[in-house]
Amino acid sequence: MSATAELPARPAARSGPSFARVVRAEWTKLLGLRSTHVVAAVTVAVTGLLTHLSASASSGDPGFVATRNLGDALPLAFLGPLVLGVLVGTGEFSTGTFRSTFAAVPRRVPVLLAQAVVTAAVVLVVGVLSVGAAVLGILPAAASRGTTPDLGNAGVPQLLLGTVGFLVGAGLLGLAAGALLRRAVPALVAAVVVLLVAPVVLAFAAEAGTDPLAEYDPEHPPPATVLVNTVETFTPVGAGSALTNPGGGGLDGAPDLGAGGSALVLAGWVVVPLTAAAIRLRRRDLG
Amino acid sequence: MTSAEALRRDRTQRRAVTAPRVLAAEWTKAAGVTSTAWTVAGTVGAAGSLAFVLGSFAGPGSAVSGTSLATSGYPLAQLGALVLGVLIGSADSATGTCLTTYAAVPRRLPVLGAQVVVTGALAALTGLAAFAVSVAATAGTAGTGRAAGAPWALSDPQDLRAAAGYVLFLTGAAVCGVLLGALLRRPLAALTTAVALFVLADQVLAANPGRVTGTVRALLPGGGTRLFADDAQLAALAAGGGPDLGARGGGLVLGAWCLALLLLAGHRLVRRDVA
Repeated sequence: MSATAELPARPAARSGPSFARVVRAEWTKLLGLRSTHVVAAVTVAVTGLLTHLSASASSGDPGFVATRNLGDALPLAFLGPLVLGVLVGTGEFSTGTFRSTFAAVPRRVPVLLAQAVVTAAVVLVVGVLSVGAAVLGILPAAASRGTTPDLGNAGVPQLLLGTVGFLVGAGLLGLAAGALLRRAVPALVAAVVVLLVAPVVLAFAAEAGTDPLAEYDPEHPPPATVLVNTVETFTPVGAGSALTNPGGGGLDGAPDLGAGGSALVLAGWVVVPLTAAAIRLRRRDLG
Repeated sequence: MTSAEALRRDRTQRRAVTAPRVLAAEWTKAAGVTSTAWTVAGTVGAAGSLAFVLGSFAGPGSAVSGTSLATSGYPLAQLGALVLGVLIGSADSATGTCLTTYAAVPRRLPVLGAQVVVTGALAALTGLAAFAVSVAATAGTAGTGRAAGAPWALSDPQDLRAAAGYVLFLTGAAVCGVLLGALLRRPLAALTTAVALFVLADQVLAANPGRVTGTVRALLPGGGTRLFADDAQLAALAAGGGPDLGARGGGLVLGAWCLALLLLAGHRLVRRDVA
């Protein structure tokens, strides 16, 4: 009797789904999946291994500086957080969990925010571990030349911090694409077009728009180069590379946004699709 | 019942699962989902639009030839071909249809073969359409007062080779996609692997030029882009530090990837549980 008397009293004592509880539920869902652990482990391992291979390959060069190879494999590392974000964003809809999730949290949007929080937290850990793996990867090459890599060297802390920031941005971009499109393959295709195909296309456009025989003046680049560089500055990859190299001064003819401005551009690429996803979640049917 | 009818019934019962029928079944499955039509239309449209936009960048004295402009939509076309293949290759396992499929075709391998044939044929037609649209989209810009080259022309053997190579490369990419889908059985995992192999690894290696990275880069499936590269692009690739494969060698690399994936996917299909 005492058990049945206590049970109805408990929900009344705790008031509804608070944001902290929604975050905890999303945390359980994310860490309860094997795919999360696999993606995290593969990302860290591949980053460390490729940095090691790249540093070893160039350790024979005269004037070898180990810290220059730190960022070699990091362009590859963002695919892991991106896939993780897509999995978080689409997981509800591909498995049908959304029925119970949104029955428990009828306001819906807190779920998306909680997913953003847990994705950012997990990718932050993965990013720090990946950067750590990259640092470990250059150690053997540096030791073979009898040097110790100087991590306090000019630009290195910014490279490491900027890389972690870019990885978090990539994870949240994947989440936003997944939550907006609700299907894994279209979401990944959209994210890959923005992050991987756009740089190739811009490089070809720059090549097509310039005369190889004309003298190149960095102060007055041709209009096509200015256009391509301006577009590149405002793409997530352009913002990411500016974030890892804040002293770079921007591309020729394009506005120099600096580290803060590049972070804002990257944040915009996350916030705009995430807002669209929130509107779709709030206004439209779920499935 | 006449004897002719009995004979016909006997024949159909005896040869219930024939290769043409498996092919027809796989064709129905592939053509029956809207995603296939969307992927094909999206690929052709995206490749053509990209070629048009890039063509509008080319001005007098530009460094690129009319041939390379016509093939410049390939980054999106290859993504479309990979998606097409991955969706066809993983659909059976992702939806659970595999139980029915392999109950009907217990030898299993003919299904994989039929999926490869259907995907290859679809991708070849898609590539042909994408190339035709790209040529039409760049015809206005290429050849107008440009130093580097005339627009794409059927009569030029190099241009003809680029056209055939473009179609072949997209066919190979789609076949790799369908085999990765059959091997990994999950669309997202297969697409991620395909993107890493075709796009990401190539970009990372290209950013760190050297003899080792050049060699690895040439041996990735993206080495198949040599199939439609013009002479200037081939020379630039050969100067990157890797072996000078040429167009034929690039095609062989892509073919070797298809073959290796076919062996892996076939092995898993025949030796392991289907679900």
